[in-house]
Amino acid sequence: MKKLSVIFTLLAALVVVVSCSDVKRNPSRNYMPDMAYSRAVETYSDHSGLNNDGINYDARNVKGTVSRNEDVIYQTPADTTGLYASEAVMVNPLPALDSTGKVEAERLFLINCGICHGTKLDGNGPLYKGGEGPFPAKPAAFLGDAKYESMSEGTMFHAITYGKNLMGSYASQLTPKQRWMVIHYIKDKQAEAKGGSEAAASAPAAAPKADSTAKK
Amino acid sequence: MFAFCQLTVIFLHPIPDIFSTLSTDILRNMNYQSRIAKTSIFSILLLLVISFQNLKAQDGKALFQANCASCHAVNKVLTGPALAGVEERVPDKKLLHDWIRNNAKVLASGNKYFNDLKAAYNNTPMSTFEALSDADIDAILKYVSTPVKEEAKTTPAGGEGEEKGSDNSLLFGILSLILAVITLILLQVNSNLKKLSDDKEGVPAFEPVPFYRNKTYITLFMLVLFVIGGYYIIQGAIGLGRNKNYQPEQPIFYSHKVHAGTNQINCLYCHGGAQLGKQANIPSLNICMNCHMAINEYSDKSEKLYREDGTEVNGTAEIQKLYSYTGWDPKQRKYANEPKPIEWVRIHNLPDHVYFNHSQHVVAGKQACQTCHGEIQKENEVYQFADLSMGWCINCHRETKVQFTNNKFYSIYEKFHDQMKDSIKNKDGEMIANPHKLDSITVETIGGTECQKCHY
Repeated sequence: MKKLSVIFTLLAALVVVVSCSDVKRNPSRNYMPDMAYSRAVETYSDHSGLNNDGINYDARNVKGTVSRNEDVIYQTPADTTGLYASEAVMVNPLPALDSTGKVEAERLFLINCGICHGTKLDGNGPLYKGGEGPFPAKPAAFLGDAKYESMSEGTMFHAITYGKNLMGSYASQLTPKQRWMVIHYIKDKQAEAKGGSEAAASAPAAAPKADSTAKK
Repeated sequence: MFAFCQLTVIFLHPIPDIFSTLSTDILRNMNYQSRIAKTSIFSILLLLVISFQNLKAQDGKALFQANCASCHAVNKVLTGPALAGVEERVPDKKLLHDWIRNNAKVLASGNKYFNDLKAAYNNTPMSTFEALSDADIDAILKYVSTPVKEEAKTTPAGGEGEEKGSDNSLLFGILSLILAVITLILLQVNSNLKKLSDDKEGVPAFEPVPFYRNKTYITLFMLVLFVIGGYYIIQGAIGLGRNKNYQPEQPIFYSHKVHAGTNQINCLYCHGGAQLGKQANIPSLNICMNCHMAINEYSDKSEKLYREDGTEVNGTAEIQKLYSYTGWDPKQRKYANEPKPIEWVRIHNLPDHVYFNHSQHVVAGKQACQTCHGEIQKENEVYQFADLSMGWCINCHRETKVQFTNNKFYSIYEKFHDQMKDSIKNKDGEMIANPHKLDSITVETIGGTECQKCHY
C-alpha cells in the first residue's frame, strides 16, 4: 500500500514536469511593482479611464496640428476626382539634394517605398515579385514606364500624402519634407536613367511591345 | 532579360512530359521502321505548336502585367474589377476593345453598363491605352479568361518537427549522477573490504550504521542541499521582475517572420519612431492597411504558420481580425464600421527609474534592432530576447565600440577620434606615429556607464 502511493506520487510528479511548457506566457513576479509599472500616464498604457478621472484626453491630434520643425505645411484636401489637376502644378519647394541629402533620401525610399516599388525603382519590390508576392496589384515602375516618368512632382506628393488607388497614405510615416526628398530622389534617378539610355532606347512609350519582341 | 528567362523556363517546362508520354503511346502503336522518323516529325510539330501557344499566352501575361496589373487582377477586385469573365459580361467585342483603348469616349457615349461600373468603383478614372493593337487586347483577354493552372504544391519532405538545439546540461547531469553512484558504490566496497580485513586481523568492528544515520552522509547531503537551494533562491530573487523569454499571446497572430523575414519589410517601415525618439512605436493601424487594403488573404502556397504550442494558425482569419479592428469592409472596399484599438500585450518594459531612448541607440549608436531584440525576422511570435537587466546594459556599453565614421553625433569627441589614428601631427606640423594610439573607443570611454546617463 505504501509502495503504491510512492509510485503514484512519482508518476504524478512526472506528468506535471512533462506537461510544463517552456513557453513563458505570463510575466514574472515583481517584488516592488510600483516602479516597475509606471503610475504616470505613459505611451501605450490604458488611457480609457482618464476622462472619468477628470483628465481631458483625446487620442487624436487637434485638426490642423503641425509638428515642430515642419517647414513645408501642406493643407490641400484629398482629391476625390482622381485627376490631380490642381496638384499637378505644384513644384518641389526643396532645393536639389546635396550628397548627404541624397543618402538620406535613398534611405527613406528604401525603407518606405522600395518594398513595393522596388529597390531599383522598377515596380518589382519584394511584396510583388513579378506577381509571385502577396501584393496583388503591380506597383508603379518609376523607371521604364512613360506614365510615371512624366508624372509631375505635385501629383506624386499628393499620392504619397493621401494614397492613390491601392497605395495607402504615407503621411504618418514621412514628413512633408521627407516626401519631397523622396520625390527628388525618384526624379534624380529617372533623369539619370534617361540620360544613360536616351541613345539606346528609341521608343519608351512602346515599352511593353518592345519587351515582347525582345523575348522572341 | 528577366522576362526572357521566365519565358524560357515556362517554355521548356511542359515539353519533356508531353514528349515522353506521346512517344510511349506511339511506341505501342507503331511498327519499328517508321517509328523513329514519325516520332521525331511529330514531336517537332508538337514542340512548335506548344511553343507557339506558350508564347501567345506569355505575351498576354506580359501585356497584362505591363498595362493592367496595377489596377486589375484576374480573380480579385482591386482598384478596378476582377477581369475573369469580362468577355461574358461584355459580349460586344468591339465595345470592349473601345473601352480598353479609350474609356472616356465610351463613357461620353452614354453607355449605361460602363457608367454604372465606374460609379460602383468610386468613380476612379481608368487610364487610356491607345497604343494597344487589336492583337494585343485579344492576347490580354485570352490570358485573363484562361484559368491559371495550380502548380502542384511541393511540400518539403520531412522536417516538419522542429529541431531543437541539443541541450548539453541534461547530458552533464546524467554523467555526474552516474559518477556519484559509482563513487557511492566504491565507498561502500571500500568500507566492506576494510571490515573484512579488520575481521581477519581480529580488530573489533563497530556496530554498522545505516547510511541515513551516518553523520558523514547527512553532512554531505545537507551541504549539497544548501548549495543547490541557495543557487535557486538567489536566481529566483535576481529574476524577480525580469522577463526574459516572455512570449505572451497577442490579440492578432502577427508574424514578424512573414513580414520582416519573408517579405523583407524594413523594421523602420512600421517602427519608424525608433529613429525619431524614445519609443519605437507600435504602428498605428493605417500602416497595416497600407498593404492589407490589398492583401486580404494569407496564401495557401506560403509556409504554414504555427503558434508556440503547435496549433496551426489561419493567416487569412488573422487578417480578417485586423479588418474587424480597423472597421474596413473588404466587400465595399471602404472603412464602413467603427474602428477600435488593438490592445497588444506589452512585452518589453523598463522600470520607471530607467531612461532608455531608441533613437540614441539606432541613429547615434548605429545598432541593429537585432542586437537587443534577437533575430526578430525569424520569430513568428515575439519573445523578449534580452533580460533587460542593468548588468546586460553595462556589459554592452563596455564592449561596444563607438562608430565614429559618418557619425555627426560624436563629432564632439574629436580628441578620442584622433587617438585612434595611426599618425598625428606634432607641434611643427609634421606627421609622426601616434604615441597614444588606441585601437577603439568603447561606449564606456565616452561616459556610457555613468549612473546619471540612465538614472536621473
